[in-house]
Amino acid sequence: MTPTGLEPARMNRKKGDKGFESPRPYKLTHQVVCINNINFQRKSVVGFVELTVFPTVANLNRIKLSSKQCRIYRVRINDLEAAFIYNDPTLEVCHNESKQRNLNYFSNAYAAAVSAVDPDAGNGELCIKVPSELWKHVDELKVLKIHINFSLDQPKGGLHFVVPSVEGSMAERGAHVFSCGYQNSTRFWFPCVDSYSELCTWKLEFTVDAAMVAVSNGDLVETVYTHDMRKKTFHYMLTIPTAASNISLAIGPFEILVDPYMHEVTHFCLPQLLPLLKHTTSYLHEVFEFYEEILTCRYPYSCFKTVFIDEAYVEVAAYASMSIFSTNLLHSAMIIDETPLTRRCLAQSLAQQFFGCFISRMSWSDEWVLKGISGYIYGLWMKKTFGVNEYRHWIKEELDKIVAYELKTGGVLLHPIFGGGKEKDNPASHLHFSIKHPHTLSWEYYTMFQCKAHLVMRLIENRISMEFMLQVFNKLLSLASTASSQKFQSHMWSQMLVSTSGFLKSISNVSGKDIQPLIKQWVDQSGVVKFYGSFAFNRKRNVLELEIKQDYTSPGTQKYVGPLKVTVQELDGSFNHTLQIEENSLKHDIPCHSKSRRNKKKKIPLMNGEEVDMDLSAMDADSPLLWIRIDPDMSVLRKVEFEQADFMWQYQLRYERDVVAQQESILALEKFPTPASRLALTDILEQEQCFYRVRMSACFCLAKIANSMVSTWTGPPAMKSLFTRMFCCKTCPNIVKTNNFMSFQSYFLQKTMPVAMALLRDVHNLCPKEVLTFILDLIKYNDNRKNKFSDNYYRAEMIDALANSVTPAVSVNNEVRTLDNLNPDVRLILEEITRFLNMEKLLPSYRHTITVSCLRAIRVLQKNGHVPSDPALFKSYAEYGHFVDIRIAALEAVVDYTKVDRSYEELQWLLNMIQNDPVPYVRHKILNMLTKNPPFTKNMESPLCNEALVDQLWKLMNSGTSHDWRLRCGAVDLYFTLFGLSRPSCLPLPELGLVLNLKEKKAVLNPTIIPEAIAGNQETAINPSSHAQLVGFQNPFSSSQDEEEIDMDTVHDSQAFISHHLNMLERPSTPGLSKYRPASSRSALIPQHSPGCDGTPATKPPWSMELARKGTGKEQSPLEMSILHPVATTPLSVFSKESTSSKHSDHHHHHHHEHKKKKKKHKHKHKHKHKHDSKEKDKEAFTFSSPASGRSIRSPSLSD
Amino acid sequence: MADTTATAGAGSSGTRSGGKQSTNPADNYHLARRRTLQVVVSSLLTEAGFESAEKASVETLTEMLQSYISEIGRSAKSYCEHTARTQPTLSDIVVTLVEMGFNVDTLPAYAKRSQRMVITAPPVTNQPVTPKALIAGQNRPHPPHIPSHFPEFPDPHTYIKTPTYREPVSDYQVLREKAASQRRDVERALTRFMAKTGETQSLFKDDVSTFPLIAARPFTIPYLTALLPSELEMQQMEETDSSEQDEQTDTENLPLHISTDDSGAEKENTSVLQQNPSLPGSRNGEENIIDNPYLRPVKKPKIRRKKLILKQVFNSVNVN
Repeated sequence: MTPTGLEPARMNRKKGDKGFESPRPYKLTHQVVCINNINFQRKSVVGFVELTVFPTVANLNRIKLSSKQCRIYRVRINDLEAAFIYNDPTLEVCHNESKQRNLNYFSNAYAAAVSAVDPDAGNGELCIKVPSELWKHVDELKVLKIHINFSLDQPKGGLHFVVPSVEGSMAERGAHVFSCGYQNSTRFWFPCVDSYSELCTWKLEFTVDAAMVAVSNGDLVETVYTHDMRKKTFHYMLTIPTAASNISLAIGPFEILVDPYMHEVTHFCLPQLLPLLKHTTSYLHEVFEFYEEILTCRYPYSCFKTVFIDEAYVEVAAYASMSIFSTNLLHSAMIIDETPLTRRCLAQSLAQQFFGCFISRMSWSDEWVLKGISGYIYGLWMKKTFGVNEYRHWIKEELDKIVAYELKTGGVLLHPIFGGGKEKDNPASHLHFSIKHPHTLSWEYYTMFQCKAHLVMRLIENRISMEFMLQVFNKLLSLASTASSQKFQSHMWSQMLVSTSGFLKSISNVSGKDIQPLIKQWVDQSGVVKFYGSFAFNRKRNVLELEIKQDYTSPGTQKYVGPLKVTVQELDGSFNHTLQIEENSLKHDIPCHSKSRRNKKKKIPLMNGEEVDMDLSAMDADSPLLWIRIDPDMSVLRKVEFEQADFMWQYQLRYERDVVAQQESILALEKFPTPASRLALTDILEQEQCFYRVRMSACFCLAKIANSMVSTWTGPPAMKSLFTRMFCCKTCPNIVKTNNFMSFQSYFLQKTMPVAMALLRDVHNLCPKEVLTFILDLIKYNDNRKNKFSDNYYRAEMIDALANSVTPAVSVNNEVRTLDNLNPDVRLILEEITRFLNMEKLLPSYRHTITVSCLRAIRVLQKNGHVPSDPALFKSYAEYGHFVDIRIAALEAVVDYTKVDRSYEELQWLLNMIQNDPVPYVRHKILNMLTKNPPFTKNMESPLCNEALVDQLWKLMNSGTSHDWRLRCGAVDLYFTLFGLSRPSCLPLPELGLVLNLKEKKAVLNPTIIPEAIAGNQETAINPSSHAQLVGFQNPFSSSQDEEEIDMDTVHDSQAFISHHLNMLERPSTPGLSKYRPASSRSALIPQHSPGCDGTPATKPPWSMELARKGTGKEQSPLEMSILHPVATTPLSVFSKESTSSKHSDHHHHHHHEHKKKKKKHKHKHKHKHKHDSKEKDKEAFTFSSPASGRSIRSPSLSD
Repeated sequence: MADTTATAGAGSSGTRSGGKQSTNPADNYHLARRRTLQVVVSSLLTEAGFESAEKASVETLTEMLQSYISEIGRSAKSYCEHTARTQPTLSDIVVTLVEMGFNVDTLPAYAKRSQRMVITAPPVTNQPVTPKALIAGQNRPHPPHIPSHFPEFPDPHTYIKTPTYREPVSDYQVLREKAASQRRDVERALTRFMAKTGETQSLFKDDVSTFPLIAARPFTIPYLTALLPSELEMQQMEETDSSEQDEQTDTENLPLHISTDDSGAEKENTSVLQQNPSLPGSRNGEENIIDNPYLRPVKKPKIRRKKLILKQVFNSVNVN
């Protein structure tokens, strides 16, 4: 056992520790990136990097760096050639020959592959050996300069080239390139330490065509022509220590706009868009002012750049001192709807400049702090800019989203802790992916994670007050800026990294409050609270008896214990009560204050001090209660289902001033289709002081109520007279006024009302003719000539309204849809859609909103059987070259067609597009839409579900998407939706019985299959505690010797390759280490045994339990099961076997290496040897599975 | 001899154009002048000792003489106008001749030469009269600040407008109806035309003409059409900007919510959304002193050749 350069013990950092301990045996202080050739035609990049590194241990002999996709030509350390090995296990997660097709197996293997190269754990794809001439130098801990020449050819991720195929030079064509990716993805375009925790200063040089501009991080020091004057070199310096993951680049023929308010801010956009850029960014300085004011801290970088590019990976990407936006956020002064959205994007990116770019994180499990703070201050900006109503509405929306997601999928954990490699406490056992790495996360989960993070920050604010909250932020920032100015004390730079513990410590220092319970509840634990409330009024005691129940057994829920605010509006005023929630179901008695008689005609005071007259005739004569609200401030992440009488909801809607309460009551009133509800909603609609979003949702609620009341409804269709009164001419009520969108509130209402009205249905469940005519008239008389604003969104919504009015066609025994039997109403609709869609070709609308709506409407017509179902039209609109919104709308229609018509051809077409489309966002979106609207699901019989499809998808996630984390995770999501966690049911039983599927549940009863099933069970890797890649050949009883052999060299091919080479490279051990190393690796091995590895051989118990579970139908995933089993259910035999093998392990260790070398030829005939082999695998398994535990990855195999 | 030829030529041309005489007095005038010139040329030729000349050469010489005299006139007029006069004086002519390289001093001697021939004055022909245009009304006299030699005002009917007051269309409904259906017809006709002339797609396989959809064609740079406002919109925006939502033209179009007294927070919210079109006025002046690295001029490469060459060699190695 020769020691390796990596110190396993060093990596064993504890989260609670104050300081930051680098997982690397060196400290990076400065990095030069020089890209001296960018070829747009060939989409290639040539350059070099130079890393200045100080060893922190004496015997540093190998340096691991992150690099993906790059072709490395040459590595030199202090001008001496250095040997290197480049290996990326994530390229192909499981090898092809393997017959494994279950997702559990894949997810484990994928997580292992990611952690094997995880820079946060000190790993990397590129391993460089320090030349022996430098060992002495290293032992004196002197500086090393690592110079790497690399090139990139047609990168599939990390850098995205946009090269329009028109005539002219690249600059004339508007060709550009920019860096992109999800989380730390910088390694895709240059070798670096791609971790958010390794900070250094930067020198960046880009030589580009003279007509192009290269925008990157830091200050542009100078721009110099090359000798032939045909190119320019942009020299950037970034003196603030920054993580490689926050480095970015955008090159293109950009138009440059210096911000008129702040000259250090520069905006860039593609040619011809300068007027839009001017308008769009004219607001940015206010965001700057706001953040600087609340944080009492200047913007940390000396300059800021915004770049708007096409084919963006995400709408907003923040990097050190620059942000990259989608060009589609640009808009002119005529556009209403996009304006607030774009401003929100700008504000979001700026918030991330402070927290995310300037302040970085120590590890992945601290990510929530950064996302939380940036999301929280962004929320404060929203509150200031759009007002409290909008802010509260947004919070409510976000809360609803996270609650819905957690209840659906079973919880989002903000601060995952992975202690000691014991995966039995795997915090995410309910998920089909690992949450140990950002790169294994489902995109949706990550979105929800960010959402939850900022909501939790708001909870902390509720607890410690905003003032303290801002003080904490200020403290973090000032610490960081002090550290950043320490140019030569790189050890100080870790102050710029935030950690959960550091953050919590500053909170307790600043506020003096203990927020530990809060953190424990929402951060260290996943799940939300589900309350059910009901009440009774006890007249005798004048007491409100409130019953609050909780559901904490469903997935995604947790039990809440603590204070809960309840607000009761009585006749005498509004009163807050704080209840202590202690048990599950508990009655709370709340004394009522009101004694007044309500015939006194007194005004009723509200929460905000206002006093209003109310018509109290609807009330229960005996009760003084007007309405009750549970947790009105949303200070718990919860879902509340509260029961109160319809009149109470109506009072709440009319008189409660909080928009969230109004929204809740609108939702509740859907269940009370009465004239009183109708009146309350109509009143709200008419009330101009009411928040426009509340009025908009009142429209939809009114439509639902009207449909429920259809038999008793009197008067014209709901909202028609209202709309006429508000928006139509006085003299001719059937004609709408010419458009004037100066008042945005009424604009939004005017847009929404027809859409809601189109949902009305008559007794025959058809849209009333009157409504359709009304909408058609709106379209006909629409006149925007005198309007200052564009009406494209308005017209688009009118088409949506037309689509909403469509009801299923009455079809006589499946006749073919032709023009002749077209419904006359549909003919009118189709006429409009045709005209709109054609006009779009001549006079396109902003972002083609109208085309998008038309495509959706056509799909609705197809789906309802009015028009023959045909994807050809959508496929032509989905092609590359259309505007992205159109493509997505068209693709959505194709996805829907695939599902409804079960078309294998279209599914193949979509899959093909996922693999080949030039735009990463579109690829991602198709997967996303397929997951949301799957052609079939795991429990469904479908002709589409066949072996070829399984193979295809497997290939896609296994190797086809290695260049894009987000895409790969999307493919995993889709696979999960289609086939579930276990082996897809459409696959035939493999010859050697490797299956765990639903059918087998029966098959298991057949004694002839049982042994095989057991063998197979291992392969299904229901035990995540062991390393999934290895499970297949750990079974000593396995009859499938051949299978084993294959697995052995396929799965571990890359590993074996590396270890083999590293061993050859290995430097003779330095005395200190050699003593230390075997001990440490052994010690790592033995204790882990019981918790980490013993699970695998114990196949029987989990299997039987699995069956039992299936039989009883208990809601527990196989993952959870297996997590439990090592402790609870491991039979004795396992222990004994394990102990033997561990005994063996020591003295068989050395010949193991021989086995490895000639493993292919050597047949293990002896059971003994065989066991040994499995033992070896166990070790590797362990080391792979627990990178966060801080022990050396692969150390055992390396140290052979 | 020369004389006869010349006169004969002149005569023939005269008779030829005689037919037109009645129709075009202006032509007639020019012909007479030309004939005189021909006579002059002929006599000069005789004076110089020629006995005969071909018609073509006489014509050429006539042409040259005519251009020469015209040039003297044109130049003289320029000189006179240059000195702010309207009538050329002798000195103008002299300067002109000098300018044209003519030795003026020889002129008196030449005029007094003995063998010169005297030519009879050309028959008096009437200056062509410009046909009188229809005069409607009295031309306006020049106001005092306009010198009298300036051209007169045109006829009043060319600039006078008579405002007519029509009854404002009271039937708003009819107007809107008309505008709407007109627009719809135009749009339909246009799109149908486009659809007929280009590729189409159809929702129904059996019938491609009832609802023809113009085929979707990908763009090379899709975001440009999607983001930039169309020309129509730009035009519209300019119009609305100038008229600032002219309320009077459309009485029905009064803003719905004029009351601005209450609804505090909400109102404020939206006002933030309202566009802020006025950039600081002094911007152009400031632009010069902005120090932004992207505005700085690009530097020339340094002369440290060796290093650069090395670098280039290195690059090429990389590329290879």
